Parts: sequence; C-alpha cells; structure tokens
Amino acid sequence: MVHALEKIHSLIAPGGVLLDIHPSGQPASIEVRIGSRVTPAGWLHETDDYVEYGWADEALARVIESGLFAVERTGAFEFVTHAATILELRDFLAEGWEDASIDDITVARVDELFSTPERDKEVILRESIKIARLKRMTNAEC
Amino acid sequence: MPIQLDPENNEIAALRAIAGDLAGKRVLEIGSGDGRLTWRYADQAAHVIAVDPDADDIKTAVENRPLHLRDRVEFYAVGIEALAARGPFDVAILSWSL
Repeated sequence: MVHALEKIHSLIAPGGVLLDIHPSGQPASIEVRIGSRVTPAGWLHETDDYVEYGWADEALARVIESGLFAVERTGAFEFVTHAATILELRDFLAEGWEDASIDDITVARVDELFSTPERDKEVILRESIKIARLKRMTNAEC
Repeated sequence: MPIQLDPENNEIAALRAIAGDLAGKRVLEIGSGDGRLTWRYADQAAHVIAVDPDADDIKTAVENRPLHLRDRVEFYAVGIEALAARGPFDVAILSWSL
C-alpha cells in the first residue's frame, strides 16, 4: 500500500491533492425500518477486510510521516445500503463483497421484525466511512 | 425494490465538501468499479480517467457512460503503473481502494 501511495504521489501534479475514501473499520450495522421506526437487528461480519482497513490507515500514516502528503481535512459519513429483504441483502453481498457475512442470529432478528403486516419495511446496512484530503507535498515543502 | 446504494447521497456530499471545486481539474479515480461514484462528480471536472482492475466492472461503466460524458470520462481496466504517461493529475481519488 505504501508503494501504491508513492506511485500515486508521482501521478499528482504539484499543488494537487489526494482524496481517500475507505471504511473506518467499525462494524457495519444492520437495521430494520418499518414505517418511520428503525430498529437495530445486528451487525455485518467481515474477516480480512478489517485487517486491510487497518493497513490502509498505517500506509497513509507512513507516507504522511515521510513527507509525501500532508493532511488538509478529514471527515466521515455513513454509507447506507437499502434492501427489500435480508435475502436480497445477502445475495448482494455474495456478489461483490465475499468477505462479508450476516450471522444467523441477525437473520432471525430481521425475520422477527419483518413479521408484521405493515408493507412499508426494508433492511438497512449502515457503514461508517472515513474521507480525507491530503495535499501532495514537494521536496521544497517537506 | 432493487438494492439502493446511498440514496441519501451522503458519499457525494462528503466528497464535495472535502474536495472543493473540481471545475477545470484533471481527476484520476482509482478503484472506480462500475462508475457508481464517478457519475456523481464527473460533470464538474474537466477530465476524468477512472481505473479498476475488474474488467467486468469497467465494461459496465463504459456501457453506462452518459452521452454527455463520453469525451470527458475514460475508463480503463489497468493498474496505476500504466498511467505514468497520462498524468499529472490535479486530483486523485482513492475510491474505497486503498
């Protein structure tokens, strides 16, 4: 990752910026919305991705320490995925997020919450994402 | 109801807040996937080169590229090593890809 950031540094013009978006590493929550009421149901489980988010933070810290980039601003936001059912969410994750899984307890809790005659309901996956703006430093600025 | 990704537009709002004005900027997006985020900011930039190692995602992005962005947004299924001759860029975006 450090090597990739060094390469990216060489692709950015002097005065340019790097914008990094990656998950915070906090577990993503699974919720059920019925009408206007949102109820927590459980968590998404990841294995290797959590490790990689940590590596990303470490790589960024190293290129900042070495003077290639300087942090200008940081922020955070929630990335929210809406699914009609827990099965739809599971299928979606299976297609593009192989490292993620939903445990049986969470599925059972969603099913329990869904057992209502109300029609306006959905499953929500809520991820915590970090965003940062880093200035590309030149030798003169280091 | 199909899966909806960030219908609240939290991601693009955060990007706009932190990126500032992209007008006139040459942008490199690394990890563009199928262009999900690209479409949300490309209107503002002067030019975008978006790359992703997943050739299927890049194919989808090219197929879905709006007509008015055809001259402004390029997609390639390559790594950043292949981009030396295309730089420099004013802004590089690591789109969930570090």
